Amino acid sequence: MENDIAKKGDNNRRKFLKLGLMSGVTAVTGATLLANLASEEELKASGEKIKLLTPDGKVVEVDAENINKYPEAHITPAEARKGIPNRKFVMVIDLAKCKNARNCVESCQKAHNLDYHEEFMKVQLIQDNEEASPYWFPKPCYHCDEPPCVTVCPTGATFKRDDGIVLIDNDRCIGCKFCITSCPYSARQFNWGHKAKFDDKSQPYSPETSVPAAEGTVMKCDFCPDLLREGKLPHCAKACPMGVIYFGDKNEDIVTNGEETVRFSELIKDRAGYRHLEHLGTKPNVYYLPAVNRQFPLERGFDVDEDILERYKDVPEVQDFKNQNKTKS
Amino acid sequence: MLGKSSPISKFWIGFLIVVILVGLVAFVLQVIKGHEITGMRDNVVWGIYIINFIFFVCLSYSGAFFSGILHFFKTPWKNSVSRIVEIITVLSLIVGPIFILLCIGRLDRLHYLFIYPRIQSPITWDIIAILTDLIGCFIYLYLTFIPDFAMLRDNSEGASNWRQKLYKSLAIGYKDTPTQRETLHKITRTMSAMIIVLAIVAYTVLAWIFSLTLQPGWNSTIFAPYFIVAGLYSGVGVIIIAMYLIRKYYKLDHYIRKIHFIGAGIVLLVISLLFGYFTFSEYFSRWFSHKIQDTNLLNTLFNKYFWEFILANYIGVLVPIVILFFKKFRTIKSITFAAVVAVLGLWLNRYLIVVPTLETPYLPIQDTRPEFIHYSATWVEWALSFAGIAAFVLFFILLMRLVPIIPMSGIIDYEREQKRHHKPLIQNQKK
Amino acid sequence: MMTPFFRYSMCVLMIGLLVSTKGNAQEIDLSKYRMRFSLNTTKQHDNFRILEASFIAANKKDRKDRIPVYDAEIAFFNVLNDEEVLIGSSKTDKEGIAKVTVPDSHSYLTDGNGNINLLARFNGSDALDEEEEELSVKNLFLDLSLTEIDSVRSVVVNAFVLDSLGAKIPVEEMDIVIAVGGMLSKMPIEDGTIEDGEFIFEMPVDIPGDANGDLTVYSIIEDHDEYGDVIQKKTANWGIFTEQSKKDTNTLWSEAAPIWMYVVLTILLVGVWTNYVYTIINLFKIKKEGKQLEMDT
Repeated sequence: MENDIAKKGDNNRRKFLKLGLMSGVTAVTGATLLANLASEEELKASGEKIKLLTPDGKVVEVDAENINKYPEAHITPAEARKGIPNRKFVMVIDLAKCKNARNCVESCQKAHNLDYHEEFMKVQLIQDNEEASPYWFPKPCYHCDEPPCVTVCPTGATFKRDDGIVLIDNDRCIGCKFCITSCPYSARQFNWGHKAKFDDKSQPYSPETSVPAAEGTVMKCDFCPDLLREGKLPHCAKACPMGVIYFGDKNEDIVTNGEETVRFSELIKDRAGYRHLEHLGTKPNVYYLPAVNRQFPLERGFDVDEDILERYKDVPEVQDFKNQNKTKS
Repeated sequence: MLGKSSPISKFWIGFLIVVILVGLVAFVLQVIKGHEITGMRDNVVWGIYIINFIFFVCLSYSGAFFSGILHFFKTPWKNSVSRIVEIITVLSLIVGPIFILLCIGRLDRLHYLFIYPRIQSPITWDIIAILTDLIGCFIYLYLTFIPDFAMLRDNSEGASNWRQKLYKSLAIGYKDTPTQRETLHKITRTMSAMIIVLAIVAYTVLAWIFSLTLQPGWNSTIFAPYFIVAGLYSGVGVIIIAMYLIRKYYKLDHYIRKIHFIGAGIVLLVISLLFGYFTFSEYFSRWFSHKIQDTNLLNTLFNKYFWEFILANYIGVLVPIVILFFKKFRTIKSITFAAVVAVLGLWLNRYLIVVPTLETPYLPIQDTRPEFIHYSATWVEWALSFAGIAAFVLFFILLMRLVPIIPMSGIIDYEREQKRHHKPLIQNQKK
Repeated sequence: MMTPFFRYSMCVLMIGLLVSTKGNAQEIDLSKYRMRFSLNTTKQHDNFRILEASFIAANKKDRKDRIPVYDAEIAFFNVLNDEEVLIGSSKTDKEGIAKVTVPDSHSYLTDGNGNINLLARFNGSDALDEEEEELSVKNLFLDLSLTEIDSVRSVVVNAFVLDSLGAKIPVEEMDIVIAVGGMLSKMPIEDGTIEDGEFIFEMPVDIPGDANGDLTVYSIIEDHDEYGDVIQKKTANWGIFTEQSKKDTNTLWSEAAPIWMYVVLTILLVGVWTNYVYTIINLFKIKKEGKQLEMDT
C-alpha cells in the first residue's frame, strides 16, 4: 500500500516535471518565433536597409546612411518655410522613355516610409484621344507656381517656398482636406487612421523629409529637399532605369537625369515640352516631353503585378491584353 | 403648453435621447479609431458630414433671412411663424458646425484656425461668417424674446422658483414703457435688416468654398445664388414641417391656421420654381456645351446616381409645384407632404453636388480598391447624421417648454396696431 | 527513449531552430556570384590623384542583384619591375568602393615609358579569394584658363607631360570635354580635341551660372588609355544670372493676402460688430430704465 502511494507520488512528480519541461520548451520556441516576427516588423518599420557582403562571406543588412546628418542638418518646420536660396526647382519627365518600370514609385515609397498603396509618385496610363496610343504618365506633385492648394489652406499648413517647392507642415495641418479637393491633379493624400510607423520617433520630423507622417494630416511628393541640400537628385530621378525623370534648377537652366545633363530651356524648346492641364492656370513646375518615338512598346509596361495592372482596366489595350492572356492560359 | 409633459412626449424625448447616444458612441469610435471607419477615402474626402453641414447651415441662413424679412416688413401673419423660424435659425446654426468638426482630421488642433488664420482661404471666411451670424442670430432671438420673458416674469407666481428667477434675469427689467418699447423696436428692426444681409453674405461664402475651386461641377459662376435659393427652399420646407408638427402636438390650431400654411405654401411654390430654374440652368449648360470633364461628371450622375438624381431634381421640384399650383390640392396635409418631399430632395441635391464631382477628377482614378473609387457612407456617418437631426428636434422641444412658441407680445402688439389703425377710420367716419 | 515527451520536445526544438534566424546574418551561396574588382584613377583639379577600387559581388543570373563588399581592406601599390611600394590602403565603404588620395608632392616610380604602374590588391579571406587589378597611367597636366582673347570669352586648355628633366612636352592628340558646373551635375557644352597640346574654345555667353554670376568650367579627360581620368576646373564671373521670377507677395497663395482683402474684411466686420455693440448698448439702456422704474415704485 505504501509503495503504491509512493509510486503514485513518483509518477505524479514525473508527470509534473515532464509538463514543466514541455511548457518550457514550447515557451522558449514561441518566444523566439515571436521575437523573429517582432524583429521583422522592426526591420520593416525602421526605414531603408541595404545588403552588404562582409569579407567573411556573410550578407548583412545595415541601415542606409542617415541622409539628414542631424542635428546639424535637421531642418525644423519653421526653417522649412524658407527655401534653398537662389533656386527654382523644376522637373522634366520624358514620356517617350517611360516603360512603367515603377522604380520611381518604389524608391520614393522606401525613402518616405510609405505603405504599398500610398504613392507620392503615381504612374497612370493616359490616352489623349481615341486614335492616340496610351502612354505611361508618371505624376508627382507639380509644385505649381500658382498653387490652388496653398490658396485654400486655412491655417497655412501648406506653403510655397522661394525655391518653388510646395511643402506640408504636419505639425500645423488640421486635416480639413480642402487642399485635397482643391488640387486638380489629385496629387495629395490623407492619412485616414493611425499607423504604427507614425510612432517612430527615431528621426525628428521635418517637412523636408515628410517622415514621420501624422494621423489626420495630408501628405504628398516633396521634391526631396533633404537630398537637394546635399547636391543629390530626388529618389525618383535617381532610381529610374531609363532616365525618364530630369531634375534641376530653372535659375541655372540645367536639368539632369543622373546620366545626361542638358540645358532646361533647350530641352523644352527642342522636344516641345508642355505642362499638363495648362489651361487651368496653376503654372506647374513639372514639364512633360511628348510620347513621340517611343522607346518601348506599350505592352512592356504590362509586366507588373496583377493588382496594379487591374488599375488600368478601363483602357482598351489593357482589356485586350487581359483577354489574350486568358485565352492563352 | 409650457411645462406640460404627456406620455407621448416622454416617449419621443426618450427615443431622441437614444438616437443621440448612438451617435455619441459613433463619435467616440471615430475619435479613437480615426476617420478610417467612415466611408471617406482619398478621392471622395468630403462626404455626409459636409453635406449635413451645408444642409443645416443653409436652414439656419434661410431662417435668418425669413425672420428678418418678416420683422422688417411687418408682415401680418408673422406672429404665428416668426418664433419657430428664429428657433430653427439658431438651433441649426449650432448643430451644423458640429458636423464640420466631425470632418476635421485633427480636432486637437482646432485652435490653429484662430492663431494662424489665412484670410485668402474660403474656410476662414466661412468661420468668420458662421461665428458672426451665430452671435447675430442669438442677439436677434433674444431681442424678440424679451417682451415675452417680461410677461412670463409678471404672470408666473405658480411656477417653480428657478423659473421665476430665470425669467426675471432674462427680461432685464423690461417694463413695457413707451421709451423701452420704442428702443426695443428700433434695435429689433435694425437687427432684422442686418440679419438679412448677414444671411446672404454668409450663404455666398459657403457656396464659394465649392465654386472657387477648379473642379468640374463646382467651378460655376451661379453657385452662390443657387445655394441661396436652394437653402431658402429647404428652409421653407422645414418651417412648414415644424408648423405642422407644432400645430398638431401642441394644439395651436387657432394660432397656426390654414391661411398660414397656404401663405408658406405659396412661398414654397415660388422658391421651388426658382430652384428648378437654377438647377436646370446648371445641368443644361453643362450638357449642352459638353466639355469632356462635364460630360464625365454627367455620366457619373446619370449612371451611378440615376435614382438620386431623379428624386432630387425631378420629383423634388415637380411634386411641390404640382401640389401647390392647384388650389384644389392645397390642404394642410398635402402642403406638408410637399414640404417633406422638398426637404428630402434638397438633401439629395446636396449629396449630388458634393460627391460625384469628387468621384470624377481631371486625372482618372486608376485604383483597385472599391472604397477609393466610389463613396458609400458607413454606419458611423449615418448614426451621427441621425443624431444631429435628433439633437435638433430635442433642443427644439426643450426650448418650447421654456418659452412660448407663439410670441404673446407679438400678438399684443399686433392687436394694439389694429386698434390704432381703426381709430382714425372711426374718427373720419364720425366727421 | 523515444517517449512521446521526447518526440514532442524534439519536434518543437527542430521547429524552433529552423525558424529561429535570430539576427540578420545570412549565408549566401557565393558560387552564384561573380566578384567584380576594378581599379580606377582620377587626377583632380588640385593635382591630387585619387585611386579608387570597386569590389562588388554580382549575381551571375540577375544583373540587378549586386551586393557591395563592405569593410574589405584594399592595399594600393606603385609597382616597378617587381618592386611594390605601398601608397596607401583603405577599407571599402557601403558602396564597395575604397579610395586613397595621393597628394601632388608624391613622387611615383615610373618605368621606361614614363608610365606609373598601379596595383590594388585584396588579400583574400576565408570566404573570398584574393583579388588584384593593375593599371598604368602617365601623369598628365591640364592647365585651364578662362581669358578674353580679342574681347571674346574663351576657354584655353593646355595639356602636357613632364619629361625626366622637368620640361613640358605637349600632348599630341586627345579628346576633351568642356563642361559647366551645375547644382547637381556637370553639363557638357563642348566635345573637342586637343591638338599640339592646346585647345581653345569660345564660351557661349548665355549660360546663367550661379546666383553671383560665377561660372565654373571643367575640362575633363575621360577613360584615356594612357592618362586615365583627368579633371581641371576654373571659375570666372561670366554668368548672366537673372532672378527668374519676381518675388510673389500679396497673392492668393502667399503668406500675406492681397491688400484689398484686408480692407474689405475690415469694413464688413467693423460694420457688423458696430451694429451688435449698438444693440447691446441699447439693451443696457432698457435695463437701466427698468431698474429705475423699480426703484421709483
